[in-house]
Amino acid sequence: MAHCIAAPKRPLVALPFLLPSPCESIALALRRNQSSYRRTKQRLRVKPDASFGSSLTHTQEDHIVHNPPSSAPSVYLTPTKFLPSGDIRRNLRLASVKNNDAEALPPVVRAPSEKKYHLTPSDIREIRRLRATDPMMWSRLKLAKHFECSPIFISLVCETSPQKKEIQKRVLEAVQSRWGSKRRMAREDRQLRKDAWGRDE
Amino acid sequence: MPIQGIRTVASARNGVGAFILQCKQLDFHYCDWAGSSRGMVAYLRHHLHAFAKANPQIEIRVSPRPNKHPVIRGVFVNGREKVICVRNLEPEQIGKKANLLREASGEKLKRTTKPVTSINESVRGIWSPYHGGLNGV
Amino acid sequence: MKRLQLQRWSGSVLSAQARTGGRLQQRLYTAIRHQSTASPAAPAGHDQLIREQPQAPSIRPSRPSQSRYNLPSPPVEAARESAKLASLHARLYLPSRLPLETLARSLVDASADPDPNFNNESLATLGHDLLTQYTSEYLVCTYPRLPLTVVFAAMYAYVGPKTLAAMAKEWGVESVAAPGGEVDPGYLQFRRLPPGAEVNPELITGTERPHEEETHWRKSVTSRVVYDNEYGDPVKAGVPPSELPEREAKNNNLGVSHEQASSTFVHALMGAVYLHAGRPAAKRFFEQHFLSRHLNISDLFNFSSPARDLARLCARENFDAPVARIISETGRKSRSPVFVVGIYSGADKLGEGAGASLLEARFRACVASLKGWYLYSPLNVRVPSSMEEEGAAPWKPVHVDLGEVII
Repeated sequence: MAHCIAAPKRPLVALPFLLPSPCESIALALRRNQSSYRRTKQRLRVKPDASFGSSLTHTQEDHIVHNPPSSAPSVYLTPTKFLPSGDIRRNLRLASVKNNDAEALPPVVRAPSEKKYHLTPSDIREIRRLRATDPMMWSRLKLAKHFECSPIFISLVCETSPQKKEIQKRVLEAVQSRWGSKRRMAREDRQLRKDAWGRDE
Repeated sequence: MPIQGIRTVASARNGVGAFILQCKQLDFHYCDWAGSSRGMVAYLRHHLHAFAKANPQIEIRVSPRPNKHPVIRGVFVNGREKVICVRNLEPEQIGKKANLLREASGEKLKRTTKPVTSINESVRGIWSPYHGGLNGV
Repeated sequence: MKRLQLQRWSGSVLSAQARTGGRLQQRLYTAIRHQSTASPAAPAGHDQLIREQPQAPSIRPSRPSQSRYNLPSPPVEAARESAKLASLHARLYLPSRLPLETLARSLVDASADPDPNFNNESLATLGHDLLTQYTSEYLVCTYPRLPLTVVFAAMYAYVGPKTLAAMAKEWGVESVAAPGGEVDPGYLQFRRLPPGAEVNPELITGTERPHEEETHWRKSVTSRVVYDNEYGDPVKAGVPPSELPEREAKNNNLGVSHEQASSTFVHALMGAVYLHAGRPAAKRFFEQHFLSRHLNISDLFNFSSPARDLARLCARENFDAPVARIISETGRKSRSPVFVVGIYSGADKLGEGAGASLLEARFRACVASLKGWYLYSPLNVRVPSSMEEEGAAPWKPVHVDLGEVII
């Protein structure tokens, strides 16, 4: 309305339909255009939703309109599970939340693998022996496949020889020397983006 | 080390705790001979005393500036200065100018278009299309 | 800034018209004097302190007889004449029981005046301890689960040298080009570092830490509490009193940086407020000027392996193992997909994060869950120093739990 007064696109006299009656022409400057008024009114005329609150059904009782924000939750809001048992907020939240069953939970990203715990000390000795005797043949991945455990477990159990490390480093350098500027920059950017995850940026 | 701390500097919020008046010094310059300083001399004689008493936070300096128009110069905490020429003004008008400098923040004048400028996070967070009640469209 | 002595050459510089305004100037001078005395520093409680002041020069009896040009820092009686000092006193709402003389002394750095009776070193020592105590108890009581590295970072953000230097600047404290007795006592007096001097030496030697020469050894975070300062930085060991004069002589030749001198001034002012106006006033000063600054603690974290930390945390607290679940997603096969992943322990959601890949979303969700753990704050937090007030309610112990996840 305000900008309509400040900079009218067309002179008002050229739009006679905007003047409903001559008596209101004085108050014209302070009035909203009829067309826009009607449009706004029409938009607001929506069917009452359940989320609007129960003002129609329980007019007598007090009620709280719960309208959670459509945004990611703040980190300052401690999850109920992390609240200590003495905290009053824990009981308040548990009282208000209904029991939701496990079927309602969203799908998992990756099914958690069952841990087997099947390796014995003799197996671990064998892993160490193999890795020490032929580090080129028995890499972490191969050992993991052979003993049906994770590569992280292999790295916890034993460490490769310095010669193997040196060779691997040279191989990596040889591969990286073939990269052009674009690929190198893209890889560096990717690493920078990854570092930003931990800072929550 | 699983977690590292990031070093930053806590930012000031003037007025949340203590309020620091941003005008730290006012220089009054006058001329004894010139007629444009008549109001200024009267202001210095009769009104500056009360002004200084009401504003102990401001260091007030008075010095002659012969053969020049009278000016008030405000020095602000942010390092900027504002100078107002008060030639031919009445003492009351000069008082208003001094008050203007006293209340200024020292920043350049800016047009504010947003009703609120804040460093606090929004209470309801930043809107995201993937959160909240996802109603079918 | 050294100010020139106007009396000597003002006659030749100022014109005849200017000098005719002598009476006006005189009157205004009294107005300015009035201003300095009309500031909150004036009331009657002061007289005793003013009378005590002459005791200070008696330690060095030659001082009053000397010319101001020979003094290393402004004399005590100059504080009453400085409008700059009075305005600083009023600007900071300092308690009226804090006299201008002490404010002037807190502005004199040890590099400007090596005499401990006239510089601010003793006040700064007290103020530093007070600031560190108040800040650390606030942080530890408000966020009882905060990891130690983040506590160090938060301490640095609240009362670190950079923050204190910024505060001195925001208070409108100006510094001298070179210190001296004739300078206005309202300026921060310190000797500057010579150009090209190293401000922050990379390796600090002479600490109390055993085996400090082994630079590649791992320094545990817990050992930093014992050997390092409140920001987790290595700190020089104390010097026995017999070697103190030599060390001071060496330091005074060097000068200090502006940042260091400013932070020493802020420390000294805190100590001065505590000494003259007492504990409640010092606490109020701390809350108004230090605690009122804005710091988002959640921005101080930098995680490297949050998934592992979270798994350890859930195992330690006997929660179900954390599971990542896709809450919503869009454009999985497109160029710019968005996944919203939540971390669930059993049926409870611990945190959620959004990212352009499942890996990123899971990582961010783990970070959010860990922050949810670390940033827990109890209701109605009280700090131990609140018990010092008269008529305080009986003390209830603050919340303490295992807190930090240790891998």
